[in-house]
Amino acid sequence: MDIAGYLLKLLQGGLGNLAAYLAAHVLLCLVPAFFIAGAMTALIPKESVTRFLGRNAPKYVSYPAAALAGSVLSVCSCTVVPLFAGIYRKGAGLGPAITFLFFAPAANILALVYTGGVIGVDLAFARLFLSLTFGIGIGMIMALIFRRSDIAHDENTDALFAGKAGVRRAVLGFLFILIALLLSGTLKIGLLTNSYLRVTLPISGLERFQAFLFQLVPFDASKGQEGVTVQGAILIGLLFLIAFASWRGLGKIFEGFNRWTWASLGLIVLTLLVASAGMKPHAGGLDILFTGKMFGVVLSMIPLGYIGSKRLTQDEVRNFLWESWRFIKQIFPLLVVGVFFVGVMRVIIRPEWIRALAGQNTLLGNLAGVLFGVFMYFPTLVEVPIAQMFLSLGMHRGPLLAYLMADPELSLQSILMISAIIGRSKAWVYVAWVALFSTLAGLIYGALEDGASIWLMALYLLAFLSLLAAGLWWMSRRSAARPSAPPEVSTDR
Amino acid sequence: MEIRILGPGCPRCHEVERRTINVLAELNLGADVQKISDIKKMMEYSIIGTPGLVINGKVKCSGRIPSPEEIKRWIEEEQQS
Repeated sequence: MDIAGYLLKLLQGGLGNLAAYLAAHVLLCLVPAFFIAGAMTALIPKESVTRFLGRNAPKYVSYPAAALAGSVLSVCSCTVVPLFAGIYRKGAGLGPAITFLFFAPAANILALVYTGGVIGVDLAFARLFLSLTFGIGIGMIMALIFRRSDIAHDENTDALFAGKAGVRRAVLGFLFILIALLLSGTLKIGLLTNSYLRVTLPISGLERFQAFLFQLVPFDASKGQEGVTVQGAILIGLLFLIAFASWRGLGKIFEGFNRWTWASLGLIVLTLLVASAGMKPHAGGLDILFTGKMFGVVLSMIPLGYIGSKRLTQDEVRNFLWESWRFIKQIFPLLVVGVFFVGVMRVIIRPEWIRALAGQNTLLGNLAGVLFGVFMYFPTLVEVPIAQMFLSLGMHRGPLLAYLMADPELSLQSILMISAIIGRSKAWVYVAWVALFSTLAGLIYGALEDGASIWLMALYLLAFLSLLAAGLWWMSRRSAARPSAPPEVSTDR
Repeated sequence: MEIRILGPGCPRCHEVERRTINVLAELNLGADVQKISDIKKMMEYSIIGTPGLVINGKVKCSGRIPSPEEIKRWIEEEQQS
């Protein structure tokens, strides 16, 4: 094959992947998820979680609180690093800070929802559960290893963590409905996917349009690729309209609501409705199927509108919209570029390579997944389409999870940033533990996939963690019994 | 008056900076406004999250975007003291 033809094939692969993604996967899960992330950032005061992270908080409070902070307060690394430094220097100390650092990128709402929507709910749960256990585990180990230098952090900062801000009921209701919207769009249960009403629009020619789309974006179902449907094409069009309107409407929301704001909000609702409906083009026109999802969307939009206009202050609504739009603006372009390159890579990578390296749940396969995760840096969330590509090329789900655990936690860039805060030796110890635990996570999950008993695995995990907790407790008692030991000042700042 | 805006360079920190400068312009005040994006310098102030707003060495708020009215109040407070 000549070079130009090959390049064309690469380009086609990338664009095809992108179109299929925008059309099929993204909307019903990502759009609500972006708004949930925005609501969490704008409407939940940080103090409601960080007050459990003070220096005097007991361990059984501070570790879970750190994990909670990871999933609620931080979606992008620009919040993670300062908050990490704050917890480490001023608050609960190294252990909870590490738990927070580990948990935040793997289990924030966007990452979980996206993993669940694109790859599968089972993997999303595995990611959540294993990151939680291992995040707390690694935090405890780090606190154990460096317990001496941990004593020497700043004094007199408890006031910082003493804030008593709570979360208002209206805000909780708002978040709850957003989550309901998300679930009604993504859950694949009969009640939601069945259609209850069918309307036929007499538009002719759509069948030919569909055939044209399939020709334009050729796909190979055996490789796990998908084509673009008419519905997908409409959705892509709507996305462009949203981007156009939001730039003027949501980006400048602080100057007040304008016509573009209403336009973009209307378009977003319309997009959700179109995405949740079923569409079937045929010779006589276009069948629109009113699915359970669609009713779910309508039912959740009404209370959202009510709470938004009546119960939240105007400032809160503006902050909420601004933060949501900020997430979309920050993450979506990266995702688009990432998905395009995933499509290109899929043309290049031979399935045999992946299958040979990580087709089985072996130690080597899991290590390969972790190493790839460490040395490749992908922006937030792009790890998910990449993982999906690996899956469709024949990677075992165990190594896949190992990769998904390691990639967002560890990249050369984040390692450098962390080592600036906690010192080089601590940072590399952390990296080693994350690599080890990610491999372990992959092995455990892979074994489960291959049919091992879930209770046996849970038992192993529990035993391991309680051993760790007991060790930490014993160490802290021993060091408390000898107060004369001078705290070692860390020299590696 | 000495105003420091702490933040690693994310859009939220820019928003705080923009609001602060707008308030200053509205009050017709001059001030020494600096943005601090070095994480180590940031940690010298007692904040647990960015963006942070520090006026005359006092942390006025951190971890959220304050409203323009709040910024105005803080600046006026500092002016009187």
